[in-house]
Amino acid sequence: MFLLLAVIGMAFDLGRVYIARNEAQIFTDAASMAAAKQLDGTAAGLARAQAAVSALPNRWNLGTQDFSGVVTEFSADGKRWDAQPKDLKELHYARVTAPDNHVTIMFLRAVGGPPSFTVPARAVASTNPVRLTE
Amino acid sequence: MKRERGHAMLELAISAGVMVSCLVGTFQFGYTFYTYNQLVTAVGNGARYAAQRTYLPGNENIEQGKAAIRNMVVYGDAQPANDAAPVVPKLTPAEVEVRWDLAGDGTPLNVNVAIKGYTTDAIFRSFAFDGRPSVQFPYVGKLAAAERER
Repeated sequence: MFLLLAVIGMAFDLGRVYIARNEAQIFTDAASMAAAKQLDGTAAGLARAQAAVSALPNRWNLGTQDFSGVVTEFSADGKRWDAQPKDLKELHYARVTAPDNHVTIMFLRAVGGPPSFTVPARAVASTNPVRLTE
Repeated sequence: MKRERGHAMLELAISAGVMVSCLVGTFQFGYTFYTYNQLVTAVGNGARYAAQRTYLPGNENIEQGKAAIRNMVVYGDAQPANDAAPVVPKLTPAEVEVRWDLAGDGTPLNVNVAIKGYTTDAIFRSFAFDGRPSVQFPYVGKLAAAERER
């Protein structure tokens, strides 16, 4: 029975964890691009960048749940990050982190696994993105 | 002795039934999750590709580009070879929905890519995906007035 639950847990719970990780990474990729696109060196641009992340409809947990606790930060050099930067002129990067994606574990829990598994994701985008000419 | 053997057979029949049901269910969900994860990856790659493409202004060019985006989702290649295999079994370009959000002047703002009407065959049962997975990416590509799209 222990072995059976472990096998079911591997297929069911880990399957959902991998999907959630994938969904979260795609969300942060899109959100960071959306934020970076809006940066224009003004306070209005910064507000638009934050709004663009909030407005993104991508969801997780098999496409059923909105992302929560999303953190959007900005940087001029890609090293020092700030959610509310003072110097707006030189901002070139946006970083989005989705830290609160807790996948509830159902079967692996019964054989000593954790009650939930967190799959955070983070992505950085530049105001000068890669563009395809094809 | 005969009665004990009968009990053992009955126990085996009951427990084997439960075990096989659990393993069949595990296979169904495991395979379906695996397929769904592949669809999430494919849709994400297609949307990212769409978001970075170069377009000529005008709705017509954007409509033409949808075929390349669908190919990217299905084959992982905008211009696949004739014998290219889909990245997800039996997925076809017709099952990929590409929708653009356009500004008033026709400038693309966002691209939405979703799976519509795809059914995965997990042998014992089929699961349909309609509208999921779906992703939206902001358009960050180039609107080229002079460049010709290939």
